[in-house]
Amino acid sequence: MRLLSWPSITQLLLAPLVVASASEYNDYSENLLLKSLPGNSVLASFRFVSNGTFDSHHSVFPRSLAQILQQSQTKELHLKFTLGRWDAEQWGRQIWDGRTAGGTGVELWAWVEAADDSEADARWTTLNNALSGLFCASLNFIDSTRTIRPVMSFQPDGHHSPERLERLHLLHGTLPREPVCTENLTPFLKLLPCKGKAGISSLLDGHRLFDAQWQSMSIDVKPVCEESGKCQLQMEQTVDMVLDVERSLGKKDSPVPKPPPIEHLSCDQEKPYAGGDSCFPLSGVTDLPWSLSEMFGRPIRGSCPLAVVPTEEATHVCVNIAEQRSIFVSQGSEERKKSPELRCFILNENLDFDIILPELSPSTNIPLTPPPLYASRSLTGHGQERGGIQAVLNNPSSNSTVEFVYLESLPWFMKPYLHTLSATISGKDDGNIIQDIYYRPALDRKRGTQLEVRLRVPPRETVLLNYEFDKAVLRYTEYPPDANRGFDIAPAIISILDPTSQKSTFSIRTTSLLLSLPTPDFSMPYNVIILTSTVMALAFGSIFNILVRRFVGADEVLGGGLVSKIRGRIMALVANRRAGGDKPKTE
Amino acid sequence: MSILTSLRSTRILKFLPLVSALCILVGITWLLLLPLDDYSRRTYISENALLPGQVHTYFGGSEQDVFRAYRHEVTALGKNASADGSGVMAEKIRGIFEAFGLKVGKQKFEYTTAGGVYAGENVYAVLQAPRGDATEALVLCAAWINTEGELNESGVALVLALARYLKRWSLWSKDIIFLITSDSRAGPQAWVDAYHDLHTPPAVTSLPLKSGAIQGVVVVDYPTSRGFESLHIVYDGINGQLPNLDLINTAVRIASGQMGIRTTLQEMWSHDNEYKDRLRTMLRGMVNQGLGHASGPHSSFIPYHIDAITLQAYGDGWHDEVTLGRTVESLFRSLNNLLEHFHQSFFFYLLMAERRFVSIGTYLPSAMLIAVNFTIAAIGLWLKSGRLNDKEDEDNKSNDGKGSEEKEGLLKSGEKAPSADEQPDLVSEERPLLLSMAFVVAIHFLGFIPLYLFNNLDEKNFTRAFYVFTLLNIALPSVLCAIFTKSFAPTSLHFTLIKCFSLLLLGMFLSALATLNFSLSFLIGVFASPITFINPTPKRKWTVGAAWMALLQGLTPTTALVGVALYWGEPLSEILKEAAFGWRVWGMWTQVVVWCVWWPAWIIAGVLVAGSWAVEA
Repeated sequence: MRLLSWPSITQLLLAPLVVASASEYNDYSENLLLKSLPGNSVLASFRFVSNGTFDSHHSVFPRSLAQILQQSQTKELHLKFTLGRWDAEQWGRQIWDGRTAGGTGVELWAWVEAADDSEADARWTTLNNALSGLFCASLNFIDSTRTIRPVMSFQPDGHHSPERLERLHLLHGTLPREPVCTENLTPFLKLLPCKGKAGISSLLDGHRLFDAQWQSMSIDVKPVCEESGKCQLQMEQTVDMVLDVERSLGKKDSPVPKPPPIEHLSCDQEKPYAGGDSCFPLSGVTDLPWSLSEMFGRPIRGSCPLAVVPTEEATHVCVNIAEQRSIFVSQGSEERKKSPELRCFILNENLDFDIILPELSPSTNIPLTPPPLYASRSLTGHGQERGGIQAVLNNPSSNSTVEFVYLESLPWFMKPYLHTLSATISGKDDGNIIQDIYYRPALDRKRGTQLEVRLRVPPRETVLLNYEFDKAVLRYTEYPPDANRGFDIAPAIISILDPTSQKSTFSIRTTSLLLSLPTPDFSMPYNVIILTSTVMALAFGSIFNILVRRFVGADEVLGGGLVSKIRGRIMALVANRRAGGDKPKTE
Repeated sequence: MSILTSLRSTRILKFLPLVSALCILVGITWLLLLPLDDYSRRTYISENALLPGQVHTYFGGSEQDVFRAYRHEVTALGKNASADGSGVMAEKIRGIFEAFGLKVGKQKFEYTTAGGVYAGENVYAVLQAPRGDATEALVLCAAWINTEGELNESGVALVLALARYLKRWSLWSKDIIFLITSDSRAGPQAWVDAYHDLHTPPAVTSLPLKSGAIQGVVVVDYPTSRGFESLHIVYDGINGQLPNLDLINTAVRIASGQMGIRTTLQEMWSHDNEYKDRLRTMLRGMVNQGLGHASGPHSSFIPYHIDAITLQAYGDGWHDEVTLGRTVESLFRSLNNLLEHFHQSFFFYLLMAERRFVSIGTYLPSAMLIAVNFTIAAIGLWLKSGRLNDKEDEDNKSNDGKGSEEKEGLLKSGEKAPSADEQPDLVSEERPLLLSMAFVVAIHFLGFIPLYLFNNLDEKNFTRAFYVFTLLNIALPSVLCAIFTKSFAPTSLHFTLIKCFSLLLLGMFLSALATLNFSLSFLIGVFASPITFINPTPKRKWTVGAAWMALLQGLTPTTALVGVALYWGEPLSEILKEAAFGWRVWGMWTQVVVWCVWWPAWIIAGVLVAGSWAVEA
């Protein structure tokens, strides 16, 4: 059943957008996609799209955000809060082509309109500080050392006139160490017209959201223009998460995963030792039953009345599960079957909505689409002086070469050596892997390193991208609290390029890294050691000096050069004079 | 000027050997005082985040049935499943891990050293922390074959059962790597090298799967299916590096406080916490540290600044796998709490009971004093060598007979010193530096020959090579001395300077080494201490020389090697094999210190003793 691949689902779900932009009054739509993933996981993807303008007082576009964008002259904004990692090997291709997911922590990039770089920087700071207040995140810590200006990796999504494009500055900042938490979710929900009280957003509960295996909240704001030249701001808010069914349901019975009674275990009876006190557990091969209210702690509370009137294409909830799996829904909803594997529902405005999926054995999964590239990155070497980074980039495709831009934004205290940058396929470099490099070296305490490499990986090949770096020694005030934890290095951003248009079509983030720098012992013994060492060095120095130096009178030196002889003579003469001159006085 | 003069005065010079002797005496006494209550301290948890033993543990119940099934599987495969390189073990374990839904990687390795081939295959699974971002990891490891060469049946089964159990928890903040190595010596080293990408392909293959920075490693060694009596905590790393004391304290506190298992250290199976047992524990720890070899699978991790310990089940008792499993569970809950890398507690310490230790500040002076004795002697010789010969003769005379009279005279000269500039003992003689220095440097370079030899010979020839070398070693000082005196006709001043440089180097090396590997520095310092008192001036009866030579022959590195073999109760060739293996695989540096620091100093001492005969003849 490979009828439906991800792009086609994306198109189906993007349909409401088209409707929304066509109709002036229906400027808000929301929908939820539930997809079962292998290993008893469920992907839940919430999507909220609102349109509006800066000057409109009665649109659903949040005024708080509109004012910030206007103040900082930001024309396009992308803000991502992400927690955990997307397990591409198990879950396949990322939803929405990876556009809605950022790297671990917080990632922000924006196109700011400004006359020159310094003005852009000032507006970028304004934007960061304002967003920091709005989302209760430490975005104000995105300073010049964490800001880069990517050249190859990003292209604006919105419609910008060519004259404006020339004045736009792309700025990108990351905070890999920022823990994403409930305090970021609350302001996120407040931007929605129904504020999490009705509609699909009523499922968004901090306890469940932040218990997910992987979770990402994103806000994308861009201008969308109609052919008539009428432009609107479009804000797309998404929440994607992967829930572990077993763990979510287990919480219901007992918060602690105690060992189950032996009767509940399914043991392999074919083992020779079976039956006694030994039990070789059979791996769980069933799809566990679950329902929306069990997974999220509550059902959907009706539909949001402000949302667009649902049509055949624009539905509220879609479930993407194997064809064999049966599905039960609560009364009052309408079903629209779009394909055997994609069943969609339109909610009743006043009735709660729940979905119940019964157990299915053996486990049946919808076929996975592999991502265009598997990427992992790790630190190599050890010690506090230098290290290396290795990225493993694997092209799973059997027939097409994949071309992409690999972007690293490194802090200034990590000083990479570009001459050590190598890309190899099974130990060899045929000179055809690295297509292009953009490198902007770091300035100490002013800006970080920006490295963009365009690479090409042939089908079924794995490229190892290696480079080495030196670790700088920081001033003691520059260490964060918990200095011995190390420093988080932002995830690398991989933008897959379309072979013809050279535009980014898919994006992948690697995991973040933990870099340990030489860290002083910030404790009392350390100070004592420093002090005593200084005293000992002084004592040793003077004693050693006395031991090895021979003190001899200047006049006792035998021989010596002409200069010293002359000087000796003069000194003797002066001494004589003085002695002679002194005599009369004393007498 | 007064300090200078008094230092130059013969009175001080004559005291220097006494000062050296005092340094050695105080150094050794210092060490012997450490086990006393007044000088050692009770251990304590320094890192508050660890909170050892503060959680309920739930491992048990049906998990025990699962554990038994895994043990049946392990026993059925048998000890040879990992040894023959067929990968049977790795394949089986991979299947079990994958059934839990963990990601699994395998790694093949092959080391060739001293004519032997050490091959195997490691298998490991990564439990990715839910919501985690792969920045940090913990490792739970069991070697298929433990350090004693037994099948680690319960240990491996426990890791498998724990992997299944721990996966159900959602509280992990760090990834957990479950590692089954095919042996205890080469396997962990191959894995940790490849994890940091410092391995040598194709002999050691790369890891297909990695996680973040490893924060802690716990190795389980439980080779029987019976109950155990006590938990033996092994902590020595390669080259005498130690894990953070907090990790050991956490393990001790959880095992003995929470689980009620007695813990032991350094194979001290009974320990009454009195002076004698404390001293023995400490000395055993020092021998292990000084030898610098791997004492368990955990040792290979420690050079990478990863804190690691091995938990060994010992004896027959009523504790079973559930207790050990709960200990590991509680330990991992504690490690999971860590916000930072282990750094709060000590990295340099000597343990003398499971809850008693001394830190570097307290014990370091003992090794330093012994190292300083060489330096003091060297400074003394340097000053002495600068004085005119006739004065020296006078001194010798005073040595022989009427001491008190001369002393009075010297006292007077000392008092007079500040005013009398032309006093004879302040006029220095030119020192013949080149020959003496060249000789000392040459002998130190000579050390590379045995270093190369014993690291590269085939294991079959080790015993023979060792005997040949021992015989050569006995004759070498005399032969070298004969060649040296015949070709260069050295004076006694040359010998004085040779001794001076040799002692200076020894003192310098040992005091630097004391900060890195205290035990090795201390042990070598004690073995080499007689060298200080060898008098390089050849005015003695030959019997004194012979007695010195006999003493020296008893304190050679080769004798120490035989001593180590007796201590461990293993044949010599095994020790040499271990050393060669350690050099090639673990990166062990003990040999370098023995052959390039201690042995040259010993040879030079031998040459000095032989020199007294040569010049006399």
